[in-house]
Amino acid sequence: MKLTVHWLKEFVSFRGSPQKIAEALTMAGLEVESLVPLPAEGEGGNDWLIEISVTPNRGDCLGILGVAREIAALTGEHFNLPPTSPHAGDPTLKQVIDVKVMHPRLCPRYSARVVQSVRVAPSPSWMQSRLEACAIRSINNVVDVTNWVMLETGQPLHAFDLARLTSKRIVVRRAGAIKKFVTLDGIERQLAPEDLLICDGDAPTALAGIMGGEDSEVRTDTQSVLLESAHFDPLTIRRTAKRLGLHSEASHRFERGVDPEGTLYALDRAVFLLEKMAGGIPLKGVVDRRARQKGPKPILLRTEKVKGLLGIGLSPKETERILKSLGMKIQGRTKAGLKVMPPSFRRDLTREIDLIEELARLHSYDRIPSTLPLVQPGGGKVDAPLRWERKIRSFMVGEGLSEMVNLPFASSDMNRRFCGIWQGQRSPVAILNPLVQGDAEMRLSLIPGLAGNLGAHIAQKARGFRAFDLGKVFSLDPKGVPEERECLAGIIFGRRERKGLRVMEEPPLTLLDVKGLVEGILELAGVEQSTVWTIPDVPSCLHPGKAASLQFVDGSRMGYVGELHPNLCEELGLPSALIFELDIEGLVQYAPRQLTVRSLPRFPSVERDLSIVLEDGFPAQQIVSWIKEQFNHSLIEDVHVFDQYKGAPVPEGKKSLAYTISYRAKDRTLTDAEVNSLHRDLISRIGEVFGAQLRE
Amino acid sequence: MQESLETLREEILDRVAHCGSEPELDHLRVEYLGRKGRITLLLRGLREIPAEERPQAGEQLNRLRQLVEEQLEARLAELKAREKERILREERVDITLPGSRWERGQIHPLTLVMDEIIDVFLGMGFEIARGPDIEDDYHNFEALNMPKDHPARDMQDTFFVSQERVLRTHTSPVQIRVMESRKPPLQIIAPGAVYRHDDDATHSPMFHQVEGFMVDGHISFADLKGVLTHFIRRIFRAEIKVRFRPSFFPFTEPSAEIDIECMLCGGKGIPKDQQVCRVCRGSGWLEILGAGMIDPQVFRFVGYDPEKVSGFAFGMGVERIAMLKFGIEDIRLFFQNDIRFLRQFACL
Repeated sequence: MKLTVHWLKEFVSFRGSPQKIAEALTMAGLEVESLVPLPAEGEGGNDWLIEISVTPNRGDCLGILGVAREIAALTGEHFNLPPTSPHAGDPTLKQVIDVKVMHPRLCPRYSARVVQSVRVAPSPSWMQSRLEACAIRSINNVVDVTNWVMLETGQPLHAFDLARLTSKRIVVRRAGAIKKFVTLDGIERQLAPEDLLICDGDAPTALAGIMGGEDSEVRTDTQSVLLESAHFDPLTIRRTAKRLGLHSEASHRFERGVDPEGTLYALDRAVFLLEKMAGGIPLKGVVDRRARQKGPKPILLRTEKVKGLLGIGLSPKETERILKSLGMKIQGRTKAGLKVMPPSFRRDLTREIDLIEELARLHSYDRIPSTLPLVQPGGGKVDAPLRWERKIRSFMVGEGLSEMVNLPFASSDMNRRFCGIWQGQRSPVAILNPLVQGDAEMRLSLIPGLAGNLGAHIAQKARGFRAFDLGKVFSLDPKGVPEERECLAGIIFGRRERKGLRVMEEPPLTLLDVKGLVEGILELAGVEQSTVWTIPDVPSCLHPGKAASLQFVDGSRMGYVGELHPNLCEELGLPSALIFELDIEGLVQYAPRQLTVRSLPRFPSVERDLSIVLEDGFPAQQIVSWIKEQFNHSLIEDVHVFDQYKGAPVPEGKKSLAYTISYRAKDRTLTDAEVNSLHRDLISRIGEVFGAQLRE
Repeated sequence: MQESLETLREEILDRVAHCGSEPELDHLRVEYLGRKGRITLLLRGLREIPAEERPQAGEQLNRLRQLVEEQLEARLAELKAREKERILREERVDITLPGSRWERGQIHPLTLVMDEIIDVFLGMGFEIARGPDIEDDYHNFEALNMPKDHPARDMQDTFFVSQERVLRTHTSPVQIRVMESRKPPLQIIAPGAVYRHDDDATHSPMFHQVEGFMVDGHISFADLKGVLTHFIRRIFRAEIKVRFRPSFFPFTEPSAEIDIECMLCGGKGIPKDQQVCRVCRGSGWLEILGAGMIDPQVFRFVGYDPEKVSGFAFGMGVERIAMLKFGIEDIRLFFQNDIRFLRQFACL
């Protein structure tokens, strides 16, 4: 809502600078968005343009009079209404025009007057410039007057060329079978049956409360004008305006509620101005079709409730002063409180709480004290999900990965390539009205975002890039209901960099480095023992030979690691990179709830290595599992692989694997002889079972 | 004899004191104390001295021998210490060379600010709740007193997933979900991502909010002021000016927007050079929070009796707070994730 300081001063006298007024309005809830000086206009000094952001509940402040009333209430200054040309009983109007409202619920009031012998011409320049400052285009003196009065009162008006209303009969009705209508901007609008129309007999002549039609528009040859000042159902106006994408000054106001008691005043004010501006001769009579409606009920305002809700009691005197300054009537006083009747222009005031807000607002929020409530025990602790997130982040950062926060939108193409951690085939969640047509789906996986981050850094000639994203992914479950999962994904390209002197070049990172990262996460969650690495069922976005899936022991899917498929890298213009993605929600579910500490061993362990030659395709872990599960000797504490070697002297197609076995007894120090004998036994059994040769 | 012994003592002490190396010192030891050393020979020669002079001469000679031994030892220790010091000096490393370490990663600034906000509220005894990003119309709008076709829906441009489902436009639906399943007293914060159909230097289609609310028997607007003033002073600084001004949200009444004095112009709006402050656009104030007393209608939607309970709710944009704290002028920097941008937050 735009208005000027001079205009405002016509209705309320106030001292103080425009800045002071702007400040007062802002602090009363009419937030001033901008205050700019207007070019000099001559007498009266410079005017200022105020732009107020009017909240949807304050339809009354979409007119300057409403803002002036607010200032009067705030300052206690006098408020005066501008002059009108009052209507009177006059039976001749009936012969000129008849009005029929078919749906009184959708049009609770329809008032109209007629002005004859107008001379349509451009408005005087002061009127034009003021309208234009308030973002209204000047058309001609008649149309300008209707807009002027709308800016003043907040009541939208419409002027019809009476001569072009051939039937002399205004009918307010739903569009029904009428399918099309050309609005005065020359655009043909497709109507819906429930749209409300103003018709000239059977022919539509205006989209009620939104925009007039081309046919009945006021033109230079117009002589008689029918002025419409009506009240329409906000929802009906809003639905039509929204559907047609036709947001007008009128519809904006009707949607937010116009004063049902204000139609006649606005009409009389417009007639007054038409007499002055266009030399019109008004008919005294008025049409005023009004639906029988229940009048507003008084509201009980309880003193205790005010005190309880605001945390401060207001004296009865202050309470009444505020209410009256806002135009409310005190209809009764009881021990408990007041019976209050709000004015008709404040359609937002229907409940006790609405009045309490007015008290707080006018008393000033600044004068309400600050207190600290008593907090009930129970909160105050970092909860499990947040604790996990923090743990995971600090681990990732320590490992040299930086956190990315990406928008969760994805193209269908990227969603097809990267299906994430979901079990089985999942469809993505589509957005009906995406911001960018290409990104019309919610991401199935965090990888497309990270791949984009990698691409952006490569474009800047980054030599390495290591990043992770801890965020939600989305899909439709088999029933078509959206499902969200918190995931962790990472991407790694290039070498891990060291700061400082270049002593030696770090080796390029491999699949085992990214597997190590994931193992780190599993260790953090205490779930290393309840997860299984598998090769089948790896996502198609991964290099088939450098990838693995992760499952929980119960078979549910937990995530994957691998190298991006070379074909995919080529298509996306990315370098070869390593990725992983994990279902963090699932992971946390499997994390042990309680930790019990084991006592430390009292006797030393003895370590022995063994090195064996096996087929190239042999999975190293098999020997570890076999030793732990099949051989299963109580003195063997731990087994792990520490080396893999291919090349001479190991024959082609074979590889050498080296393991360390730790032996320990709980109750004594093992002797060399004891360990050697056990180790020899182990080696010969491995030879038998796996056909492996011991390598010297 | 007396005199020659004195000369010898002087000579030895002088030579030991000037001796510069261990081998040289060994040499001296042999020369004086060795099997054919001068003092050894003198001791052996005592036999030839008259018996009555022997005890005195013996004692003098023995004292000299002892003194020489002591001096040799002391000199040896001194030389060793000096040698060690020389070696240490040679081993010195140029401390102006760069230190060596693995490159660390960086936590995203939005996470850092979010954590800071969360921690202030946890410190006040609040508890964390969460809700879905894809929300139904009922929780996102309807139960928050925004029926279909309500103009207040225009305040939030919405992404639709279907007729009935949207990407949540605020974290307020978590309020409804918590109140539906629990009874007061409640003091909850709900951090998370929210979505608006908007994209420019100050708006991102996805951004983050922290919602908070407190419901109990007698929670008042004064409590709202107290809690939020405390929060703002912890997040910004203790002396910062704060103002509460009336506003409108469909789900709170009375509603307030909370401003802090502009960090760039210090609340002056139009500083001396007459340039309108580009951060607060001349008002001297920056909006930081929306809040209000929970509307009785919202309580009815979740089955609470507004005559028995009251409460306040508030919401804030994490990006906005981060932008104000760090002087960031384009929200898109957060989502471009440029490492050079992220690294600047290493010291936070």
